[in-house]
Amino acid sequence: MRKVWIAVLAVLGALAFGQQELKAGWLYVGPIGDYGWTHAHDVGRREAAAAFPWLKTIYVENVPEGQAGSYIDQMVRQGVKVIFATSFGYMDAVLEAAKRYPDVIFAHATGFKRAPNVATYMADFYQVFYLNGLMAGALTKTGKVGYVAAFPIPELKRHINAFTLGVRAANPKAKVLVRWIYEWYNPAAAKEATEALIAEGADVFAFTEDSPTVVQVAAEKGFPSFSHYSPMLKFAPDHVVSGQLVHWGVIYKDFLAKVYAGLYTPKNLEDVDYWWLLPQGAVELGADFGVPINPKFAGRLKAKAVNHPIFGEINVYDLVMKLHGLMKDVELAFDPFQGPIKDRRGILRVPEGLRLTKHQLETMEWAVEGVVGPWPNEPKK
Amino acid sequence: MRLVPRGPVGPALSLLVPLFSVLLAFAASLLLLALFGTSPREAAVAVYQGLFTDLRGFSELLRRAVPLVLAGAGLALAFRAQFWNIGAEGQLLLGAVAAAGVALFSGIEGGWLLPAMALAAFLAGGLWALLAAVLKARLEVNDVITTLMLNYVAVYLVEWLIHGPWKGKTAFGFAYTDRFPEAASLPLFPGTALAWPGVVLAVLLAGFFAWLLFATTFGFEVRVLGENPEAARYAGVRATVTLSLVALFSGGAAGLAGFVEVAGTHHKLLSPLQISLGYGYTAIIVAWLARNHPLLAVLTGLLIGFVFAAGDVLKVALMVPFQLVEVVNGLVLFFLIAGEVFLRYRVVFGGRRG
Amino acid sequence: MVEDWLVATLARGLAFAAPLLFAALGELVAERSGVINLGVEGMMILGALMAFVVADASASPWLGVLAAAGVGALAALLHAFFAVTLRANQYVSGLALTMVGLGLSGLFGRAYAGKPLAHPLPKWDVPLLKELPWIGPGVFEGQSALLYLGLLLALGLSVFLHQTRPGIHLRSVGENPAAADALGVNVYLVRYLAVVFGGAMAGVAGAYLSVAYRPSWTEGMTAGMGWIALAIVIFAAWEPLRAVLAAFLFGAFYHLAYRFQGVLPPEFLKMTPYLFTILFLVLSALGKSVRLGAPEALGRPYVRGER
Repeated sequence: MRKVWIAVLAVLGALAFGQQELKAGWLYVGPIGDYGWTHAHDVGRREAAAAFPWLKTIYVENVPEGQAGSYIDQMVRQGVKVIFATSFGYMDAVLEAAKRYPDVIFAHATGFKRAPNVATYMADFYQVFYLNGLMAGALTKTGKVGYVAAFPIPELKRHINAFTLGVRAANPKAKVLVRWIYEWYNPAAAKEATEALIAEGADVFAFTEDSPTVVQVAAEKGFPSFSHYSPMLKFAPDHVVSGQLVHWGVIYKDFLAKVYAGLYTPKNLEDVDYWWLLPQGAVELGADFGVPINPKFAGRLKAKAVNHPIFGEINVYDLVMKLHGLMKDVELAFDPFQGPIKDRRGILRVPEGLRLTKHQLETMEWAVEGVVGPWPNEPKK
Repeated sequence: MRLVPRGPVGPALSLLVPLFSVLLAFAASLLLLALFGTSPREAAVAVYQGLFTDLRGFSELLRRAVPLVLAGAGLALAFRAQFWNIGAEGQLLLGAVAAAGVALFSGIEGGWLLPAMALAAFLAGGLWALLAAVLKARLEVNDVITTLMLNYVAVYLVEWLIHGPWKGKTAFGFAYTDRFPEAASLPLFPGTALAWPGVVLAVLLAGFFAWLLFATTFGFEVRVLGENPEAARYAGVRATVTLSLVALFSGGAAGLAGFVEVAGTHHKLLSPLQISLGYGYTAIIVAWLARNHPLLAVLTGLLIGFVFAAGDVLKVALMVPFQLVEVVNGLVLFFLIAGEVFLRYRVVFGGRRG
Repeated sequence: MVEDWLVATLARGLAFAAPLLFAALGELVAERSGVINLGVEGMMILGALMAFVVADASASPWLGVLAAAGVGALAALLHAFFAVTLRANQYVSGLALTMVGLGLSGLFGRAYAGKPLAHPLPKWDVPLLKELPWIGPGVFEGQSALLYLGLLLALGLSVFLHQTRPGIHLRSVGENPAAADALGVNVYLVRYLAVVFGGAMAGVAGAYLSVAYRPSWTEGMTAGMGWIALAIVIFAAWEPLRAVLAAFLFGAFYHLAYRFQGVLPPEFLKMTPYLFTILFLVLSALGKSVRLGAPEALGRPYVRGER
């Protein structure tokens, strides 16, 4: 359906603009070779470039925050009309540049400040993390699940919370041990953090870091893990259970087609905020595209039965598949943050029968019950 | 092939050789770009258009050069005294920390805030270097090692501050402090992102150091201490005092570079890798190319600033991979040091023994 | 409980120390000959890429390690040419080498990002020794084969430097090249060999990262380890056996930063080895008991007939 819609827009755009070319530029925070965040954005850029013959793309890698403004200047000089800034740290530079170039369209990933010519976008994983948590809870024998995390920001706290809710739904006594490495990409730090968690008894692993390190370290010891961001099944075919995958291309194609069709202009983006989840296809459950659950773990997951409030007695494999189906539906019949949910200090955070708003999700600082370890900025009230 | 020392060289040659090696380096860079499919003509045109056809482009060159000149002039002074300060990076970071501390927590308002930040940055950078100088003067502890180690300590100090006690309430959990108040921002040259007081500061400081070094008794003492420590002692130069002052000035200059970066560009304290793009280390090259002459550091700082800014342009305009830009930068350095060699030696081919 | 901590800290500290050890031992030898090479990071990353490429193509990780040593040596040869033959500024030449190495590896490594390595280096248990209490499981069980080689190398280098004629020649070249020359030692040759050996070891250190520690290639995967290796040489006071201890301390503190998280800010633990180095220098300067100093001629080019 979405593909048809984009195709229609593209044709409309072609009619409206004649054969005019649109030039878009990407600011990347790391190298494309990181096999993580920047790699995934570049896959998205290439998808968009391949889909639209009228689109010309350029990019710059390794852009330091203090240089973002100057690179934007250079891009505009090259005739770029749409600029995607793919790091939170570019926020101020983007808003300043947007004032400087009122005719250029900006889209800022993970940001929260908008302007008439600045939109924001994000492909979020929290639903997928809940499903991974369910499987992790079913697989842990020690009752300790390890989580290697990059920065204690609301995005990761949301993901770890959703993951932990899943773990506890499958195994109410299990705990999630968290270690922060304070870097998006650092294989050595990820490895040592994983080893520290292993030393403390964790036997299933999930993480937020831009390399397959955690997967590899866990596999060496024979422990299952959940891959992050890029497909990592091939790094440990017998040990990766599932994971989260991103499709930035879905957002880029939608956005650019709308710009080309004249729906998005430098004057009407104040309220354009992509918050795309499973239903839009911006994220996917799995350790590789098209493999939501590694078949090698199907047996163990089917052997673990839980008593679910809605589905009654059900095995974890089927539960994951059922909830996955529900969350992929735009109706959103199920959400991980469904009240009542208390934080680990015992404060009620989501009342019975309610869910969290997008704003509450985006600013989440508390930790759910079951999270163990340091949690900077944890609210006392 | 062997090298025969040249002895003293005239000013013409000492100017021509570096100029020639710079040209050669640029030629080799263009050749390398050509090997990777970028036409040298296009590259030259892109750099020209990107940096020299409008104010905004040219200001980027200056913005890159300012921290290099500040730290480089200070290092030139230090190296004259044989104070091997490899720690400009750490001193720069300490300057950034002090400036941020004053901006965020001192409660000073209005026009006094920027001077207070600058003073704090100067002192913090200076004291960080002083530590190594005192250890060297009093205990003969190797200054290369202490200044280098203190760089790492400074990096982790900044990391700790932005993750811990100074983490901003508006930073959304990211490792930043809050944004400085408006009064803590250096004014920008209209139509650019260049904090012009930084340019003024860099030139004035380089001039001041040159004056200090060549027109004052203190400068004479510094040079004697550097060239002949034994003689300096006989001449009554108090090594500890002289060295301490040199360290204070040298580290202070790097600290000011940190001040200019946070007050002119970032407006907050952030990851050390973002505050300084290796400026403290590059400044060593700036000082060395300037033959430890503080005023010449203005020129060599501009040269390295140009190399960096040109790389920035090529990455966007011609999609040159950033790794290639890095290779080119390294190549330029190789050519420059090779040129330096031919300034000091004549190359003689043939017989090993003379 | 205490035993678990001890064993884990030993094991992790050593695993993290292995690449640092190789790079530091290589640099140590180069510096002992009087040549400082700040290009360790660059040579290491070239080694990491080369090892991965060769191991991937040949299905032999050991061939990868060998190739990494080769590429490291080649890169070091460039530095030796500038530092020894051209008598150029060693600091700048090393920095340039790092830039070139990081750049080239990124340029040629693109095709290998996200590729798993089918045959990583094996892990070995040392028979008999692994039965030892604490030390057995901490040091001699399940470590990479390269680590054991690194430990042996340190031992061998220590003997070489202090007990053999070529080793004494090497040291004399770094301390007083003119005197060594007068005794008939070929200063230039010794320096070339030492620098090239240093490069080869930096290459092996890189190989450890890409075919053993974390078998895969990602751009910039050395992440500053080359610079830590330079610090270790200093901390070790240019003694191979002390380099083992120093590399282990860096590794152990790195590991403990994650064990103690929540109790202690990790930045303080990571800062500790650097502070230790300074403290150590100060203490030995105060005590004057330990002669701790760089080779006399470190960083200075040798010119025949010049004093």
